[in-house]
Amino acid sequence: MEWAGRWDVRRKRKRKKMAEEGQVIGCHSVESWKEQIQKGTDLKKLVVVDFTASWCGPCRVMAPILADIAKKMPHVMFLKVDVDELETVAKEWEVEAMPTFIFLKEGKLVEKIVGAKKDDLHAKVVEHAAALPASA
Amino acid sequence: MAVSGFEGFEKRLELRFRSFHDPEHFVGDLHMGLRLLPIESLEEILRAVHCTIVSSMGNRFFDSYVLSESSLFVYPTKIVIKTCGTTRLLKAIAPLLRHAGGLGLELVVCRYTRGSFIFPKSQPFPHTSFNDEVACLEESLPLHLHDRKASIMPSGLPNSNYLWHVFVASAGDRYSSLCSREIMLPDDESFTIEVCMTNLDPVSARKFYRLPDDWKTRESAGKEMTDATRIQDINPNALICDFAFHPCGYSMNGLDNDRYSTIHVTPEDGFSYASYEWNGSTYDGKEDIIRTLTKVTRVFRPGNMSVSTTSTSPHVWRAIANALEPVGLKCRSYSMDEFPTVGVVAFHAFTACRRNG
Repeated sequence: MEWAGRWDVRRKRKRKKMAEEGQVIGCHSVESWKEQIQKGTDLKKLVVVDFTASWCGPCRVMAPILADIAKKMPHVMFLKVDVDELETVAKEWEVEAMPTFIFLKEGKLVEKIVGAKKDDLHAKVVEHAAALPASA
Repeated sequence: MAVSGFEGFEKRLELRFRSFHDPEHFVGDLHMGLRLLPIESLEEILRAVHCTIVSSMGNRFFDSYVLSESSLFVYPTKIVIKTCGTTRLLKAIAPLLRHAGGLGLELVVCRYTRGSFIFPKSQPFPHTSFNDEVACLEESLPLHLHDRKASIMPSGLPNSNYLWHVFVASAGDRYSSLCSREIMLPDDESFTIEVCMTNLDPVSARKFYRLPDDWKTRESAGKEMTDATRIQDINPNALICDFAFHPCGYSMNGLDNDRYSTIHVTPEDGFSYASYEWNGSTYDGKEDIIRTLTKVTRVFRPGNMSVSTTSTSPHVWRAIANALEPVGLKCRSYSMDEFPTVGVVAFHAFTACRRNG
């Protein structure tokens, strides 16, 4: 029974991991934010963070575009942070206008895009994802 | 002067609202008012005008959108749409009032302004004449905006039929003052300045052309044009959302707390045009206004410029007349008129008295 239980947990974990790839993951607490960033660093993935606000029109313009890019690039980690929910994180990354996209590699900032710039976002995700080592 | 080409001169529409349910103050989500309009609603409004969103950026105070033809600014209770080319701007009014009504917002002031079209015969109805535009506005606006005035202000330039057209409709001062309790500049303490420039210096205009084999995104190319022309220096505090069109043309929106600025450039020789518009507080010093106009002149070096100010405070327009002589622009004439609620509109026309080296 115990052995079957362990298989079940492993299968659930694998399913969750696959479900998260190709999606934009919402971080609703500082703990979950830190956890996701650490995960991205450990897995040597490019992490793209979308800082948004519920009352910001341009954020709503970008949401489906980001979701589409995420689907096409499952080896990149996409996170979404609401600036009102995670005020300290938004302040830490000096978010002044929305949407703001930050690109992190192993915890370090490699790119920042401010505004709903569809062409730039797409081009930069492709550029930075391609620059990763093959082991990612 | 070319026989035909892209019309740079914009039509500008500003609509101010108040809450139906609680006109005294905003509660909860109403605090964000028009910013809560779904993107589909904005796109429907813009489709009626014949333009689309190409880039955008928002901050705590307002959302800004760069359009295929100029710009859109959405504050909680104010919307400003500026469109050029052959867009049908007044067609935005009906869908906008409908969607705003859905958010519990009621129109209290409407202001429509424009200069004179370079190619007036290319304009679609109702932009075929100011009479047609006024008739369309009269029909589209709700009856409780009972205080209305239309005026054509002359530039006074010899051999020129350049005019400034203004239409204002207001629900009266009692209603408009109820909009003042907001997190942004109260309307009765703010000014708007609309600058229109033609006959741009060819060296300046050339900076707004894309290079033939450049693979940059339109946003990156826009940033390059901003950097090359030092547009950032006009207001160093502003966050800029810039965009370059193919094969030429440029637009930008600047966001500085609750203040916007916007630039649109049609660089082609024969019908070159650039506009600069910004809002500010009547408590700003006149030096700030003069400094901004001076920097704008240095970027574009136009042969002709008009400056239209809308403000309830006289010190705003008093700053303008002699302000630009140091940068080679002489004020040839000005006219002024007073309008319901928005205050005085002053219109100054300048021509270059020499080309600076």
